Amino acid sequence: MAQEIYTTYADELVLLPNVWVRVWSALLVVILVCCPYFLSEYQLSILNEMCIAVIGAIGLNLLIGFTGQISLGHAAFLAIGAYSTALLTGQFQVPFLISLPLSGFIAAILGMIVGIPALRLKGLYLALGTLAFGFIVEYVLFHWDVTKGDLGMSVKHIQLGSYTIKTEAQYFYFLSVISALCVLCSKNIIRSKIGRSFKAIRDRDIAAEAMGIPLAKYKIMAFGLSSFYAGLAGCLFAHYQRWIVPGSFDISVSIAFIAMIVLGGMGTILGSVLGAVFITGIPHLIVYVTDSLKDTYPSLTGLIVDFKLGIFSLIVVLALLFEPYGLVGIYKRVKTYWVTWPFRY
Amino acid sequence: MKLLEILLNGLSMGAIYALLAVGFVLVFKSTGILNFAQGELAMIGAFLCFSFVMTYGMPYLGGFVLSLFLGALIGALIEVVFFTRMVGKPLFASIMVTVGLAGVISSIAGFIWGHDVYSIASPFTNKHLGIAGFTISSGVAYTILTSIVLLIALLIFFNRSLHGVAMRAAAEDPDTAGLMGINVNQTQMIAWAMGSSVAAVAGIFLAEQSFVRISMSHYGIQAMAAAILGGMDSVKGAIIGGAMLGIVEGLAANYLSGLAFQGFHFGDVKEVAAFAIMIIILMIRPRGIFGKEKVERV
Repeated sequence: MAQEIYTTYADELVLLPNVWVRVWSALLVVILVCCPYFLSEYQLSILNEMCIAVIGAIGLNLLIGFTGQISLGHAAFLAIGAYSTALLTGQFQVPFLISLPLSGFIAAILGMIVGIPALRLKGLYLALGTLAFGFIVEYVLFHWDVTKGDLGMSVKHIQLGSYTIKTEAQYFYFLSVISALCVLCSKNIIRSKIGRSFKAIRDRDIAAEAMGIPLAKYKIMAFGLSSFYAGLAGCLFAHYQRWIVPGSFDISVSIAFIAMIVLGGMGTILGSVLGAVFITGIPHLIVYVTDSLKDTYPSLTGLIVDFKLGIFSLIVVLALLFEPYGLVGIYKRVKTYWVTWPFRY
Repeated sequence: MKLLEILLNGLSMGAIYALLAVGFVLVFKSTGILNFAQGELAMIGAFLCFSFVMTYGMPYLGGFVLSLFLGALIGALIEVVFFTRMVGKPLFASIMVTVGLAGVISSIAGFIWGHDVYSIASPFTNKHLGIAGFTISSGVAYTILTSIVLLIALLIFFNRSLHGVAMRAAAEDPDTAGLMGINVNQTQMIAWAMGSSVAAVAGIFLAEQSFVRISMSHYGIQAMAAAILGGMDSVKGAIIGGAMLGIVEGLAANYLSGLAFQGFHFGDVKEVAAFAIMIIILMIRPRGIFGKEKVERV
């Protein structure tokens, strides 16, 4: 795949490299601002889900795509963020603006604790450890009185001072601003020393260490950052759904997040965004298709909705087999094809 | 006597874990891939046996053997279709393909057999054996006996037979093994086939002790704890790890599940005992009891 080659440091650091990117970004902002005026409540709710998924997917991509540490327990950190905010805003009456970063930090601290064994474990051992952590978190949530187990916890609407965010449109503006900020932050992290260290560790950790990158510090930082993002996503998810149960953070959620970054493209921020949008959109697309076919094939509706996990898994397998760079890879290939057309290179 | 009963029941569960863990070790040793779909393959084996015995009315032994062969076929097919393409790709990709396959397989099984709970009527159902003053169900006894025989056969195969030694060689260093005249591709295919037919046996025994249902694939992840405990690259370790895991689970279920501690109810502690063991082992001794320390060459 064609990789961009930078010739100066200024080239590498620039956020919006050329006029096209600037135009497209401005256009995206305008479209997003106009969205609530011509979309229905249901369509806005899909967009809101996507915004939350984008934050979680960026977190996972920072860990898997950029640092190369496999995690199969991402949903656990979402759960920690969600339950933290439920307890903070519910029992302790903490205002939302404090509870949002706080639930991120709680998730980050637990993430760093999970990251400590990662200093010794590699590859599949790390995958197993994070998987086990995910199951244990789910078990604790089920069996602890504080989290009310199976009954779940109710969460309040987002309260900004005296202003309450209630409607889908209000949520849409709030969530899209937060997720845009998250995208910007991650972009900046990746362009900085931290991001370059992450990539060096992913490509060859021994070589990275030999070049003076402290492995322990950056691996734990990657875990902390990734779970901070997950905690934020969980917190927003809790306030948006207003009802959380342990079942909404099981292994299938972790797999959905992995599907997002694999489909979108590992090790790219754009990929996490695209993947989150697609993977969140696919179930709604399926519902739409089955609804329109309901009259001809009535038995289809119940069947296909059941197979969400199967479809996500199939996407993961097919993407890994045929397009390891994901949607971003396809986009870059198509772009290079037209840039050099009619020559192949 | 109660403790002995707990131990025996734990051991029968342990035998199943050992079979599943041996499946992991077989595939891991010869290909370096951890097969996250092991539990799903066990589930498919149990469902095939259920279909042959209950739906098509075959004799139990016939259904057992047939689903074992079909399990091997599925394993070989997975290797040929997916993993011959994955050569030279990063480890993450291979692992994620097995995670993805797990989801695909359980979806397909849900499509074919639905989400109901079934049971297989076997010759051992509702029969009990009296040994030295106490009774155990004959299903438990046969599970333990058959697993022991099968596991010993596997050990002998690995340590004594030409094929077993070839497999070990191919795992150690595929390139050199290829130069020595070992067909590495074929060896890996055989490893997958063996791994998944062992999984099918485990699934059928599991159905003996509980039910046939989609969610039984969960035991596959628990059996990973057994494989980790014993060491990912040791068949002997997987067997001992499986037995230990089964016994610990049985003890935990009997002595811990009623307890409560400051608003925390232990409840079905059996389900997470495996994961707690897994995390402890990964923290203390990641290579497991019998595993070899992996030295990374630069």
